[in-house]
Amino acid sequence: MDILIKNLNFPTNVYKDLSRGDLLIRNGKIDQIAPSISLNAEDNTDILDAEGGFLSPGWVEIFSDFADPGFEFKEELQTGAGAAFQGGFTHVFLLPSTHPVVDNKSQVSYIKDKSSRLPVELYPIGAISKGLEGKELSEMYDMAASGAIAFSDGKTPLQSAGLLLKALQYVRATGGVLIQMPFDKTVGTYGLINEGIVSTQLGLPGLPAIAEELMIQRDIELVRYTESKLHFTGISSARSVDLIAKAKSEGLRITCSVTPHHLLFTDEDLKNYDTNLKLNPPLRTAVDREALRAGVKNGTIDCIATQHFPQHTDDKVREFEYAKNGMIGLQTAYSTLNEAISDLSAESVVSLLSQNAKDIFGLSAASFEVGQEADLTIFHPAKSSTFTKPVNKSKAENSPYFDKPLKGKVLATISHNQMTKN
Amino acid sequence: MALSTQHLLGIKDITKKDIEIILSTAHQFKEVLQRPVKKVPSLRDVTIVNLFFENSTRTRMSFELAEKRLSADTLNFSAAASSVKKGETLLDTVNNILSMKVDMVVMRHSASGAPHFLAKHINAAIVNAGDGINEHPTQALLDALSMKEKFGKLEGLKVAIIGDVMHSRVALSNIYLLKKMGAEVMVAGPPTLIPKYMAQALDVRVEYSVKKALAWCDVANVLRIQLERQNQPLFSSLREYNLAYGVNRKLLESLDKEIVIMHPGPINRGVELDSDVADGPFSIILNQVENGVAVRMAALYLYSGKDISES
Repeated sequence: MDILIKNLNFPTNVYKDLSRGDLLIRNGKIDQIAPSISLNAEDNTDILDAEGGFLSPGWVEIFSDFADPGFEFKEELQTGAGAAFQGGFTHVFLLPSTHPVVDNKSQVSYIKDKSSRLPVELYPIGAISKGLEGKELSEMYDMAASGAIAFSDGKTPLQSAGLLLKALQYVRATGGVLIQMPFDKTVGTYGLINEGIVSTQLGLPGLPAIAEELMIQRDIELVRYTESKLHFTGISSARSVDLIAKAKSEGLRITCSVTPHHLLFTDEDLKNYDTNLKLNPPLRTAVDREALRAGVKNGTIDCIATQHFPQHTDDKVREFEYAKNGMIGLQTAYSTLNEAISDLSAESVVSLLSQNAKDIFGLSAASFEVGQEADLTIFHPAKSSTFTKPVNKSKAENSPYFDKPLKGKVLATISHNQMTKN
Repeated sequence: MALSTQHLLGIKDITKKDIEIILSTAHQFKEVLQRPVKKVPSLRDVTIVNLFFENSTRTRMSFELAEKRLSADTLNFSAAASSVKKGETLLDTVNNILSMKVDMVVMRHSASGAPHFLAKHINAAIVNAGDGINEHPTQALLDALSMKEKFGKLEGLKVAIIGDVMHSRVALSNIYLLKKMGAEVMVAGPPTLIPKYMAQALDVRVEYSVKKALAWCDVANVLRIQLERQNQPLFSSLREYNLAYGVNRKLLESLDKEIVIMHPGPINRGVELDSDVADGPFSIILNQVENGVAVRMAALYLYSGKDISES
């Protein structure tokens, strides 16, 4: 694949001190970066004019569910990867909640092997506990050696403090990171949406924010004790942001991520019982949303985790109480983030969607050196984009964004000698 | 006489004027029910299905009787929520029934928001007969009619709703209705059975002492303890509940005034309400049941979409 990308803006943290220029890719590799590149008259390499667009190393999604193997009716590695690539992502971490569960070497290998020809690099997250049952540690050492990027019990976070303590100690041998989507199951067990004014007015059982905050507090103490590394994903309340900011200031190795939809919606948007907005963690109040936005801007929140959770239509087009949690979002992640925080700098976008995740999970930093394979995303904060069913690459349709214009567009993604444009 | 919505999904969604129209129509139908021939042809060519995905005795009988008094054709469907979860979806069930040319749906469902979901997908008019812990609009309307008959008006009336507020759709519908009509509302009961954000969300007073609530109010609407809807224990025992929150004759006699006692039924005698109160002179519980038929006739008639001038 050969292409010349013209008129790119370079965020300051991307390539030396170049702020604007052209990028030539030949055969999937970076051939030249310069303030201006001209081709010979007989050279008919494709040209992409990226005027107004910004260059970023390829984006990293750290907590998505491609449901393969076992739940291919929701998503497959190929369809999920297609959505990721279209949305600007070249690296995706996958939840272990497949069937069978990714709790041993062979399941890790299955995903690595099956994804080898995809444009997107897929990284299995290994289960912390065998079968995600929260009882016994899985073979994390073996999985790490086979390519598991991190460990998590996914949508069913470890409830047992004792087991999490052991797991945090155990992964120190390999330098691994654990991921918790924090909530204490014993608080608000039957809750459906954020406990608050809206849940009371709608007659829906509430999921109090304290369920999340309690687990964050507990886990922070476990990290202090074990001196290990823990990442909280999908934090949703103002108090969670405060707790994590304090732990970070104390030097604990704690990081966190938020979903784009928690930056855009609040529980007020559930007044129509829209099952696409039924999420766990739930959408919370406008005060919480403001705190999350502030946390993204001031760096307390390290990454955006899209949490692309596909669900079959039959599990969404039904009574709110019985509908399953989650929404897809890889193709709308950037525009949602940009819509929610319109004054986000290009440098922050690079950090939130690529650089920080690479640092936290030990992926090699992207490099735009000549001769390196091109792995990049070009985003345009001023152009708008509309997600529609024909452009949806995912197998699932549980998205609230269909046919709604959002500000911000991914112009192109390049990886593994392949390119996609929007 | 136009109503503001196509469906009667909840009191939250309708206006004060809607409520007034329904109550005055109910008042007219109540007069019909006193006649030797208690039947009118108002819904003669209308077919109504009663979909009960959750058990019900009195509400279902009340709706069915209301439909028969209006000369509607009726169809009954009942299913436990569990069989719906396992088998046919709600939408399939309803679409199958509507294919048989049914005009209106009366539905009770254990999931909050189920009728709102249905309203997004079907054209037939829906009357909510209770959804989860959300709303039970016709119950609030019949309670309102009963209070109006007793006191002449709702505005300024002090109403205490006592007991399992958290699991009660009767409470939520009553609160919405009473607030819209200018009454004052207090909820009272054990703190574990009152949602944390009650006061802020609904602009009501919250009291944890039943005695204080009774001393404050003109009417006490005592709720049924919804044991079937509690997934986890929220109070230690029925005995202790009765000791701390039960309404009994002695308590009422200790007040320096007379208050009216209501209950949406079925009563757990000796738990939230003692028999000497339920059957006593202050109770209007059986008036509520009587008014239920008239109110449901009014709701069915008005939401059927038939022009009122036709009959």
